[in-house]
Amino acid sequence: MNLATMTPPPVDDLQRVALKVFLTNDSELDPRDAIPVFHRWIQTHAVNGLLIDVADYAHLPSGPSVLLVAHEGQYALDRTHGRLGLQYTQTRPLDGSLSERLEVLWRTLVSAARLLETDPALPGLVRFAGNEIDCIAQDRLCAPNTPETLATLRPTLESLLSRVSAETDWSFTRDTEPGAPFRVTAKSSSSAFLDTTAAQPATPNDD
Amino acid sequence: MTWKHALGERVPDDLGREIDTYENQMALKRQGKLDDKVFAETRLRRGAYGQRYDNGQRNDGTGVKPLPFPSDGRTKGPDTVWDAPGMHRIKIPFGGLTTAQMDTLAELAEEYSDGVVHITTRQDVQLHYVHIDDTPDLMRRLAAVGITTREACGNTVRNVTACPIAGVCRDETFDVTPYAQASARFLLGHPDAQDFGRKFKVAFSGCKQHACGLVNMHDFGAIGVTREADGATQRGFEVYVGGGLGAVPHEAKLFEPFMAEDEILPTLQAMSRVFARLGEKKNRARARIKFLVAQLGIDEFRRLVREERTRLPRDDRWTDYLDDLPAYGETPLKTGEPLGDVTGSGAFQAWSRTNVYHQRQPGYVVATVSLPLGDLSSDQLRRLATVARRFVGDTVRATVEQNIVLRWVRESDLPALHRELDAIGLARPGAESIADITSCPGTDTCKLGIASSRGLAAELERRLAGQIETMDESVRSLRIKVSGCFNSCGQHHISDLGFYGVSRHVGGHVVPHFQVVLGGKWVENGGAYGLAVGAVPSKNIPEVVQRITDRYVEERNDAESFYAFTTRVGKRALRAMFEDLMSVPAHDVDADYYRDWGDPREFGIGDMGIGECAGEVVSLTEFDLAGAESQIFEGQLQLEAGDFERADALAYGAMLQAARGLIKTENIDISDDAEQIVAQFRTRFFDTELFFDRFAGGKFAQYLFRRHARQTPASGADTARQLIEEAQLFVEATHACQARLAAQPPVIPPPPDGPSAAGSQS
Ligand code: HEM
Ligand code: SF4
Repeated sequence: MNLATMTPPPVDDLQRVALKVFLTNDSELDPRDAIPVFHRWIQTHAVNGLLIDVADYAHLPSGPSVLLVAHEGQYALDRTHGRLGLQYTQTRPLDGSLSERLEVLWRTLVSAARLLETDPALPGLVRFAGNEIDCIAQDRLCAPNTPETLATLRPTLESLLSRVSAETDWSFTRDTEPGAPFRVTAKSSSSAFLDTTAAQPATPNDD
Repeated sequence: MTWKHALGERVPDDLGREIDTYENQMALKRQGKLDDKVFAETRLRRGAYGQRYDNGQRNDGTGVKPLPFPSDGRTKGPDTVWDAPGMHRIKIPFGGLTTAQMDTLAELAEEYSDGVVHITTRQDVQLHYVHIDDTPDLMRRLAAVGITTREACGNTVRNVTACPIAGVCRDETFDVTPYAQASARFLLGHPDAQDFGRKFKVAFSGCKQHACGLVNMHDFGAIGVTREADGATQRGFEVYVGGGLGAVPHEAKLFEPFMAEDEILPTLQAMSRVFARLGEKKNRARARIKFLVAQLGIDEFRRLVREERTRLPRDDRWTDYLDDLPAYGETPLKTGEPLGDVTGSGAFQAWSRTNVYHQRQPGYVVATVSLPLGDLSSDQLRRLATVARRFVGDTVRATVEQNIVLRWVRESDLPALHRELDAIGLARPGAESIADITSCPGTDTCKLGIASSRGLAAELERRLAGQIETMDESVRSLRIKVSGCFNSCGQHHISDLGFYGVSRHVGGHVVPHFQVVLGGKWVENGGAYGLAVGAVPSKNIPEVVQRITDRYVEERNDAESFYAFTTRVGKRALRAMFEDLMSVPAHDVDADYYRDWGDPREFGIGDMGIGECAGEVVSLTEFDLAGAESQIFEGQLQLEAGDFERADALAYGAMLQAARGLIKTENIDISDDAEQIVAQFRTRFFDTELFFDRFAGGKFAQYLFRRHARQTPASGADTARQLIEEAQLFVEATHACQARLAAQPPVIPPPPDGPSAAGSQS
């Protein structure tokens, strides 16, 4: 697509965006084990959103594996590029600036991740790493997969990470596969777990 | 900037205008200025379907709970909440995909759906969990790569299907692709094809003997044939009409043994006009062209179409495409080259045994990408497009077995292709085998689903995949097809082992079951339809498969086909093989039976207490229902034996007995007298609408009324067979009605807005 002659919408308009945290290497979760857990979450309204249904794609070796679909977004045990993690994708528009929206997303994701970690039906199977986070933009109009998008988004992401994580030395790598959506991996050199990282009190949003 | 601006002229004018109109209608609907039914048909005609739970309620396993979408009463159809996720069906004529189209589909699945692309049983693509507000942009982005979703649903000409290996097949008469393409283009939006009472499905096949085109189950099916005339070979088609699966399946009837190629489009037009004029409009259940053909008789129908044909003003489009035929064909990306002595890894060998087909063009093969349940993720599809670009170019097709084929693979490239497919998780062996199961969406996303067809298919695939290498060859090539209900979107009638979802009421609970359908034929364009032999709890179906296939291996005569085997053994003996699996243990003995495959929720309408009195009445009803089922089964045996009158009488008797059972739930003393049963049933269950199905309304009751009104028994096989199918559905409806009554007081509160009867949407 040649969009060069037109003004793309500002990245700040980005609504369809996802964050993903990864299971640590020694986690032994079979995504299928989460199916009853997600169904229970629907019954008990355990996580944010109007929870609709569970979709089982555990037969796929890559991409979403087991999804908890909500009206506002999708919680997915996601296996894109073969790496299992929990991803939350915002699918309906949220109010606030992109920075504020990302923070809401982060909190939604982390509370679901923490619930999975402590679910009695998944004893010792789930632990999320706190040193690696993917941010995926599912909107090729607002956020094409280009170095420019990364440059524009980077300060917002850095600010988010400084607010929600104790880590400081984040590096950012963009997935450059042709055609793929904009995906940036933020990595820190520590070996922190999400439970310690996410326990950090958030400082007020000042950007 | 919006997608509309960004894509600009890449969206063809006519499609762009269409989408703009649709967007305007959405705006009107949001303002409440458009009727629900009108808007529903508007979106359906553009591929935007409803999806399960879009009525704003869902059984979470503890009961039916409201899903409070923030729609403020706005709806997108009768009983269909605006903000609820929908399904989008994307029409892919003859399954033909370019790599650019694959890229776009992957993008759309990511941006508007759940990141998964689903291939359907009619070579279409479906995306689920799509918000209606996103559909105009979704359509624009498709239009920019030459895809329209127009007429993917609704009462229109649906996707035109054709053999996925047309043009490279070793057995075809000629390549039917250009004819399928021309028909799809000609009929799309054609004014004569806009006023049908129901959908119209067209298929093309290059030969009679294989399955590929499935002509026998289509409204209009054409098989390529040639004849010698004036010293030249003339191309034409053996044309069939009035086939269809669904609740009351019909095998297609021969319309013409040789229709010259230049007559295909005008005949389709003439037939569309006759169907639009004379086809049923009010009663959806009898609106497919198969009912018109049955009602008029094939001879009268043919006469009417031919007469209509003579009246049509000439249209150059009928034949323009024929001028380009000699030049038609795909250009291979690479020159052909045999594989040579390469043996490759064990995995490669296993894959090439089942997933590779040698084209008639030397040095080329077709490689099948076998997709579990027809699914692949966005990133898999995008990478598959990259692989296709490298090996074959734009010669990819989706198949009715929910797979994707890469045509024109240079044979010597196979090991490299296998490696690359393996790297993206798309080198699953066992394509088109017993472990490559076809399934409709079922309860996962379909509003009409009764049992989980995908759950069952996934479970069977898991079990069979490990056995595929060691399995007897005769079993390996069998087909399993599963539908979530009697509508047969999974095409269970034309498989070796077919299953469709039903429910049974057991001890105050509802238990998911599947009817076992045997006697169908996949080959010969879906050459014979199977019949339901018995309903088995979902959890016992894998054991049914095991027993029947084991028996086939043990008792098969030489090269006897599965179809011949089932015919020889007979339905009674087949049923006896699994009769012990038909019962359900009590809930406190094994609660697993009360949950569906892949779904931990308590099935159906949830916990319900029943008093002693109700229990007693229920058991009397159960008794009659069981009797009705055995009458149907006996009727099938008589049908097989050629005693159509007896088969007809048994089917009629089954309906009467089921109706009588239902009447007994009201503590009525009822005799065996047919008049009395029908009268009581009418006043107590039909007039009160207690018997009405949420989607089908009173359709099933009409089966009984019609047969009762007809004094004479059936004399022909077709009529008797149809009555047996109808009786089966009547009994299913009785089970469902009984379950609803037992669940009193109703657990399901009426929805807060809109009327309650949604139209079915297929
Ligand atoms: C929202 C979900 C769906 C609904 C409500 C639905 C409804 C129906 C109904 C009522 C019929 C019987 C119609 C008749 O022949 O009288 C039918 C048949 C059929 N549908 Fe669906 N359907 C759905 C999804 C699908 C899907 C996903 C496919 C796959 C492409 C599909 C393909 C078919 C086929 C192949 C048949 C039967 C074959 C034939 O008669 O041509 N349907 N459907
Ligand atoms: S067969 Fe039934 S459950 Fe399956 S898609 Fe068709 S209507 Fe839905």
